[in-house]
Amino acid sequence: MKKLLLSLIALVILGNFSHAQETFPRNDAADERPSAFAFTNATIHVDHQKQLTQATLLVKDGKVVQVGNNVTIPKGYQVVDLKGKTVYPGFIDIYSNYGMPEVSRGGGGFGARSTIGPGNPSAYNANDAIKSQYDAFQEFKTDEKTAKKLRDVGFGAVMTFKADGIARGSSTFVTLGEGRSNEVMLAPKAAAMYSFDKGSSRQAYPSSLIGSISLLRQTYFDASWYKSLKDKPFADNGLDAWNANQSLPQIFEANSWINALRADKIGDEFGVQYIIKGGGDAYQRAQALKQSNATVVVPLNYPAAYDVEDPLDAYNVTLAQMKHWELAPANLAHLEKNGVPFAITAAGLQNPGDFLKNLRKAHHYGLSKTAALKGLTTTPAQLLNMGDKVGHLNPGAVANFFIADGDIFEEKTQIHENWIQGKGYMVKGTAPADLSGKYTLSFNGETHALEISGEPGKQQAKIVAGDASIEVSLKVDGAVVGMHFSKTKDGEKITLTGWQQDNNLSGTGRLEDGTFVSWNAAYTAAAEAAAAKPAAAAAEAPQTGEVIYPFVSYGSAQKPQQETILFKNATVWTMEAEGVLTNTDVLIQNGKIQKIGKNLSANGARVIDATGKHLTPGIIDEHSHIGGAAINEGGVNNSSMVRMYDVVDSEDQEIYRALSGGVTAIQLLHGSANPVGGQSALLKLRWGATPDELPIQGADGFIKFALGENVKRQRNSDPVRYPRTRMGVEQVYVDGFTNAQAYEQEWKRYNSLSAAEKANTPAPRRDLVMDAMVEILNSKRFITCHSYVQSEINMFMKVAERFNFRVNTFTHILEGYKVADIMAEHGVGGSTFSDWWSYKWEVRYAIPYGSTLMSREGVLTAVNSDNAELMRRLNQEAAKAVKYGGLDEYDAMKMATINPAKLLHLDDRMGSIKVGKDGDVVLWSDHPLSIYARAEKTVVDGTVYFDVEKDQEMKLAIEKERARLIQKMLGEKAGGASMQRPTGRMRPRFDCEDEFTYTGSNY
Amino acid sequence: MKIFQALLFIVLTSLSTGTALAQTQVIPAKAQSAPVLLKGAKAHLGNGTVIDNAVIAFDQGKITLVGPAASTSVDESKYDVYDVSGKQIYPGFIIANTQLGLVETSSLDDTRDAAETGENNANVRSIVAYNTDSELIPTMRFNGILMAQATPQGGLISGNSAIVQLDAWNWEDAAYKVDDAMHMSWPDKMLRPRWWMGESGTRANPDYEATVQQVRDLFTAAISYQTPAEGQPTNLRLEAMKGLFDGSKALHIHVSNAKSIIESVTVAKSFGVKRVVVVGGEQAHLITSFLKDNNVPVILTGIHELPAQDHEDTVLPFKLPKMLYDAGVTFGISNGGGYADRNLGFATGTAVAHGLPYDQGIHAITGGMAKILGIDQTVGTLEQGKDATLFVSSGDALDMRGNNVELAFIMGKSIQINARQQFLYKKYADKYEQPVNLVKEKN
Repeated sequence: MKKLLLSLIALVILGNFSHAQETFPRNDAADERPSAFAFTNATIHVDHQKQLTQATLLVKDGKVVQVGNNVTIPKGYQVVDLKGKTVYPGFIDIYSNYGMPEVSRGGGGFGARSTIGPGNPSAYNANDAIKSQYDAFQEFKTDEKTAKKLRDVGFGAVMTFKADGIARGSSTFVTLGEGRSNEVMLAPKAAAMYSFDKGSSRQAYPSSLIGSISLLRQTYFDASWYKSLKDKPFADNGLDAWNANQSLPQIFEANSWINALRADKIGDEFGVQYIIKGGGDAYQRAQALKQSNATVVVPLNYPAAYDVEDPLDAYNVTLAQMKHWELAPANLAHLEKNGVPFAITAAGLQNPGDFLKNLRKAHHYGLSKTAALKGLTTTPAQLLNMGDKVGHLNPGAVANFFIADGDIFEEKTQIHENWIQGKGYMVKGTAPADLSGKYTLSFNGETHALEISGEPGKQQAKIVAGDASIEVSLKVDGAVVGMHFSKTKDGEKITLTGWQQDNNLSGTGRLEDGTFVSWNAAYTAAAEAAAAKPAAAAAEAPQTGEVIYPFVSYGSAQKPQQETILFKNATVWTMEAEGVLTNTDVLIQNGKIQKIGKNLSANGARVIDATGKHLTPGIIDEHSHIGGAAINEGGVNNSSMVRMYDVVDSEDQEIYRALSGGVTAIQLLHGSANPVGGQSALLKLRWGATPDELPIQGADGFIKFALGENVKRQRNSDPVRYPRTRMGVEQVYVDGFTNAQAYEQEWKRYNSLSAAEKANTPAPRRDLVMDAMVEILNSKRFITCHSYVQSEINMFMKVAERFNFRVNTFTHILEGYKVADIMAEHGVGGSTFSDWWSYKWEVRYAIPYGSTLMSREGVLTAVNSDNAELMRRLNQEAAKAVKYGGLDEYDAMKMATINPAKLLHLDDRMGSIKVGKDGDVVLWSDHPLSIYARAEKTVVDGTVYFDVEKDQEMKLAIEKERARLIQKMLGEKAGGASMQRPTGRMRPRFDCEDEFTYTGSNY
Repeated sequence: MKIFQALLFIVLTSLSTGTALAQTQVIPAKAQSAPVLLKGAKAHLGNGTVIDNAVIAFDQGKITLVGPAASTSVDESKYDVYDVSGKQIYPGFIIANTQLGLVETSSLDDTRDAAETGENNANVRSIVAYNTDSELIPTMRFNGILMAQATPQGGLISGNSAIVQLDAWNWEDAAYKVDDAMHMSWPDKMLRPRWWMGESGTRANPDYEATVQQVRDLFTAAISYQTPAEGQPTNLRLEAMKGLFDGSKALHIHVSNAKSIIESVTVAKSFGVKRVVVVGGEQAHLITSFLKDNNVPVILTGIHELPAQDHEDTVLPFKLPKMLYDAGVTFGISNGGGYADRNLGFATGTAVAHGLPYDQGIHAITGGMAKILGIDQTVGTLEQGKDATLFVSSGDALDMRGNNVELAFIMGKSIQINARQQFLYKKYADKYEQPVNLVKEKN
């Protein structure tokens, strides 16, 4: 029988601080008690690595005094024998909202009214989402109910903050003790907190992820500019606080690996290494996270298995969802294996009580105990520069530790007590007595063989007579033991009540006839151990499927590799003066087109028989919205500072589907929500790559402008934003460029000053909106302008001419045919829909002959998609110029290849099959302008990213993988696991007009 | 004998004659006044068969003769003869499930007449809103679409569609078959994520069961309405449902999810609806035996769509017609509604590119579709006795490289092909002194 730690529990109840806050007024006699404890005979984890056995821990006045094996217990210490117990440093969660007020959502809601300027009338930042002035310590209040939940799973201290805004001010670091907030606060200002979410702000800007990133970027510039000003032109207490907070650890809430990389890049721009709160998906790009050098704060929430019994319901669940279900518990193991430093948080768990269960699951899936403990102690402590105080039990540390009855990673282990700042808190209720054993039960002259077995609290009893046995109902209530049973089935009951004394039981009882008797049960032997559970299960991490890149259907574990490829006997559409070459070979090597000719050969090349097939350059879509997490920053009428490069999304399956239609490069454009949109990202469709690997290196800078109905917002519910007419649209441009000229002059003046003069002259404010406008004026950034009717098209060319630059491209340009002569003269290209019309008034006079008319008038013309479906068929869109107006087929094909390359200034390396150009080609089954042509192979940089045969193999592999996962989930269900409904995931398919950010995931 | 030779009147210089090009609007053609003979073309009959070198004759709007030139004797002197050698003849394409004539500009509410307010519009009829002067109509004809099912949308019961021919002065003479079908939008079991609210997961439709119950209640009432108690007041909605039970009106259920297809069809059949058609049918490939066993045709509306599910074939919607064909499910091909319906031929071409036999593709937008819509007795195929609703294309009408309608007849009337889009093209081509590349019309 195991002895209860009665003495210990008494201490817990009595334990108190000896160092109550001196500054507080006192009302009666002092009640300060000795607070010195010696915990002996324990297994002690001093830190995540160092473990002592048979050790002693001395704690006095809330601090660790000594820990070791040969510790002499000084006088005045209460000794607590922890034989068989294990002591761990209290866990630390640095991502908590413990004790903080609820945050109301302000800026959200579809069609909600918003404001242009800040709503906060006080002297803070110009944007309500910058709340650096907020300090969590000012509002923090201890909250015993929540504290207990966290203590019960081993936490001793948390960093807590208010999750509101993009710059969220500072967090505070507190223990989970009871009492005054004053007593539990270890560091009032612990870290500076950031996110992409504007929270309660009702200000229109930022309305999207691109805007949030731009706001952060501008705020870094503003803050340093503001700091540099000796004579401040205005007070901005938000920026002051921002600057002051820079000395704190900087923590960024990203919640997913892809946002983690985005956050890290912002940090890189300004020399800040964020600590990043990630998601449970970090395993999907662990290497990329490793390269970011960020320490990641990782939650332990795992999705439940999907209830996939019904095959038609199962059909709706994505592969990524299924795979994520399987791999989420292995998240931390993957991070450990890849060397990504991490801290572990309970944030995101619906029930904090699941924390230990999930931690053990992470361990079961391969996370080492040391790494787990490090992520819960040393790492979080060091991240907050609190490594001297918490996270370990070395002398001087805050006495935060918990006592468990074994290894915390074992299923059975329970935490008995959690000590915070030297004060004990009971976790597990008084352990019920362990009555297990064999007894001789005697009463009223009878003797019976009684057996009690099972875990304390859940013990069962029976009376054994030979092979037969009688069920005995057993109830243990504190110190009182009750039993009742019937000797025969349905017979009258005998009830016994009593207590445990040494190993024996005795008491008083009532027989069938109501007679009271004394009884006793003499302990004779230990109970037979239950059949040992197979321990092997715990030893080996479960088998899981592979991580695929990207983490979505048709991603693969092995990223596609560059090859030397020789196409033999193709009909080659060079898109150069050479025209169409028949029976021609093309060699692609080192990612470039190496040779074009007859009877080519190359050692080690993969030879592809292209007899009867057509080889064209890769299709380039001048107007695309795939591969991005947000399309519009509509909160302002000039968002020239936002950058699509900030939100490239490598996990968009439309990238693969576009490859299946022969597309190899795109311009990821900002949308058309405002007259001046944002900066484009020029991407190659490298399926499987990280977001950073998609951009085309060295490409020119482009920016989206927009004319037309969308920017006027007359169909929008929120009418506050200027402009409302095409008259106002012109003025936005004239105003923007006029200001840009003045801005450039101001900087030129400043830059021409000597160093001494500069020291005495306030620097102009760096304005990212104006930077982009100046780039346009200087032809260092080029405009793609969404446009429909001839009046506005003409207007915009005149604006450009007034400011002495040229518009690069009019996109959509459905009435371009009416001003093709003026366009040709201006030198602007047209990237157009082939046959869209009539979906709104401004396209009423759009005709499918537009591309033919513009082409023939000398306008460099391309076809574009603005649509993930259509972009797979841009060759057919080009072909429509053959039907409508009889454009030459070769000229038509140019509209999908070399012409968009020229519009994007990429024609020196893409858009045609020419030696030295990028190995971006498509092998078609048929004439490429034919409806019957299918892209059989799409090659980017000499890498086959789409292969129609491999596509079918992958489809089968996906079905197989899904079948495996479905079987596994059915097994979970049979095993009694709680399941979730088989709902699916859907990405939005963005077009020009979509104004929301896609914050979701494929899983 | 009048012979219109070489219909390929592609004029490479500016047209000065007073042709239809001067018109921005279309003038409906006069009734057929003389027998017409088309000879020498490859004729796609619309029933899955083809005649390589055909003669086709029609008089008073009806086809009088179809056969191979080699084995059919014709007295050419009785006809206006068109030598269309080397070209292709097709039955007029039929675009089902379209808002043609009902919606002019989708973003402008005052041009939208397809969706009446309320959930149950069993009594509304699209025919009376069908605008024969819609500027979208000539753009359909230009690509070979000569008939349409003008279809109401929205709510649970959207109303009744009408089949129209696309050369008319007003809806009365446009009407080919009015109230051919009642349209029901089956509720979605799962709703799309509200991305703007940060969602990425689908969610169960909380109103699904209640909505299905509404359908059941409605049909229960409609059945009891068939045997009225004395003095029962007229109920326009229930009155309009009568035809569903005697087969004179089809029930077109707009539904895409496989389970919802099963549920909706089962509900409709359980109430004795005679002719059920599934419109949409995105997941029809998952339940082909159900569709076949229940003899339910499917009108596919999303060939040129992206796959709805991540794990599906990369071009599943392109392959869907072939999959249904292989499984023996009756299907027709339509498009998503709107201006892009003019690309019906190309959507069908895509299906052919992905395995559907060519003349099954033609069948799916002509004879097969006519059968699904219940007008196959009179139109849809090039067969003697049927309407002479057909067109001549200089090449393959399913491919933009070949689709070039040179002649089109609706019930024997030779219709105008060029309209405002061609007028605008010529207007600016003339301004720029560019060649004009258009069919010259004879009227």
